[in-house]
Amino acid sequence: MNKKIKTIQRHGKTFKDRIYIPAIIEGLKTTIKHLAHNVSDINSVDVLEYPEEQPTDITERYRGLHRLTHREDGTISCVACFMCATACPSACIFIEATQREDGVDEKMPQKFSIDTLECIFCGYCVEACPCDAIRMDTGIFSLIGREREDFLLDKEKLLSFKGAFAQEDSIARK
Amino acid sequence: MSLVTVNIDDKSYEAKENSLLIDLLILHDIKVPYFCYHESLGADGNCRMCMVEIEGKKRPQIACDTFVSDGMSIQTASEKISSVRKRILELELINHPVDCPICDQAGECKLQDYYMDFGLYDSNIDMKEKVHNKKHIALGSSVILDRERCVLCTRCVRFTSNITKSGELGVINRGDKACISTVPGMKLDNPYAMNVVDLCPVGALTSKEFRFAQRVWFLKSTPSICHGCSTGCNIFIDHNQEKYKEDKIYRIRPRKNREVNGDFICDYGRLSYKNLQENRQQELLNKSNVISYEDALLELNSKISGSKNIVILVDANLYNEDIAAISNFSQKIGAKLVCPTECYFDDSFGDDWLKSDYKCANLQAIKNYKIDSLFSSDQQIDLLINFNHPSFSKFSSKQSVEFSTHKGSSAELVLAIPAYSEYSGTTINDANIEQYSQKAITTDVATISEYLSDLSKVAL
Repeated sequence: MNKKIKTIQRHGKTFKDRIYIPAIIEGLKTTIKHLAHNVSDINSVDVLEYPEEQPTDITERYRGLHRLTHREDGTISCVACFMCATACPSACIFIEATQREDGVDEKMPQKFSIDTLECIFCGYCVEACPCDAIRMDTGIFSLIGREREDFLLDKEKLLSFKGAFAQEDSIARK
Repeated sequence: MSLVTVNIDDKSYEAKENSLLIDLLILHDIKVPYFCYHESLGADGNCRMCMVEIEGKKRPQIACDTFVSDGMSIQTASEKISSVRKRILELELINHPVDCPICDQAGECKLQDYYMDFGLYDSNIDMKEKVHNKKHIALGSSVILDRERCVLCTRCVRFTSNITKSGELGVINRGDKACISTVPGMKLDNPYAMNVVDLCPVGALTSKEFRFAQRVWFLKSTPSICHGCSTGCNIFIDHNQEKYKEDKIYRIRPRKNREVNGDFICDYGRLSYKNLQENRQQELLNKSNVISYEDALLELNSKISGSKNIVILVDANLYNEDIAAISNFSQKIGAKLVCPTECYFDDSFGDDWLKSDYKCANLQAIKNYKIDSLFSSDQQIDLLINFNHPSFSKFSSKQSVEFSTHKGSSAELVLAIPAYSEYSGTTINDANIEQYSQKAITTDVATISEYLSDLSKVAL
């Protein structure tokens, strides 16, 4: 077999490279340039006075706190298929399924809770959901509680969150 | 019967003459999709999924209706066959509601498996154009029918007409209106009815008892032996330990064993898992006070050493290993070992197929150890030690100790023991076949052999 071998030239072997000082001076030049610019005009520094000021740059792709979506008739979209719980790498989604009696569908969650202390906000649950029933589009990035239990979000709490961006209703399984 | 050589995908296999080609394919794990064929129900040839190419035949043939002959040459994975299978599957799925998220069969569904293996086409039918049918129909015997998901393989119909001979199910109407139904005025009602749930290759027949309880991919299956009666049907115990919860059994399924139960079990055995988990004895009790394991052994030891006439009752459901240990123990302390078997006998339970008259799993071991099965107490018993025998309360004694799986014991000293699903051992069935049950559920409770070996250390 004919292998093509390409020889790459190694850097960092010259005397100039090995004493480091020219490289340090080169780096400090950039730092000092910024320092001079910021000191001369203090208002040009980008500062967000959080929490009085809230961020305005949270986009649709941002993975915020989860929510459960509604169908067009206002009922819960989730059918308790457990795909999110199966995909969840930290196993923090707890579902109990039950028979749905209102005629909209056959199955729904009796309990649906997410332990946000265990959650790593990877968004796999949203990707796994076949019914567009769980989303992370609330834009909520901080959750405050006094006890551990405050961070275990139950079905009612998850349903109460509103989406910050896209359409409100779930699009699947009408 | 003479053997013939069959050439499948350019490899040669031996088979019995005039056996079915599909059996050969299944035996050698050659991928072949099928809905209607079942080893116990035979060929029906209605699903047309098991098409293969046979050399010399003009068109593809179904493997379940082809008998092997010498020198036969078969292709199972040619381009032509793949395309034929794909189109037949598309036809089977034409009105399927694709409601896998709410279907209990999802994960063990043949439609899902075959779609991934042979389908992978884009549907030509819009969801709105699909023919809708009735969902969630209670057929009786805890079986629920969903007509939209049905592929009309008629396995369930053939089970009720050929195997149980009760004939409750049939196919009514024609074309895309054809559906499974019970005979008018009849309910699905026979002691083996829930086998149709296992037989159904899709989610058309599901169990009410298992409905929405778990997704099947979470379940762990442990091979075990049913303790419902002395037939000793082979089963799988499907259980799962959810996060922060106890390990729990969700269903019992039949495990194939041609010598014992074939592919089926009775509904009584299938639903026996409920009793295994309800009302269980967990603590060690001395006069209704919870005591430690060491104290319980000391108390038991003092009771034994202070009594003369000791009788030991042994349950005919215990494993051979336990009965051997108890038998040794009884000889050591000079006790009389008995197992009245009358309480297990129920001639209304037994039938001429899988159900036996004796509702205990290890009757044969009681006979092998020559344990007295007709015991009646005429003289005063000083100490009665019961190893989970059900007729404990019929005997009176000065003092009593009970090793019990379930709550409700009236003995002074109650010692919790695990149920058969919680440790492993062997049982011997009616036909003298010795069978091994694996441990499915983990528990902290000590087994009988552990109690007895620790007791001998205390006694020293």
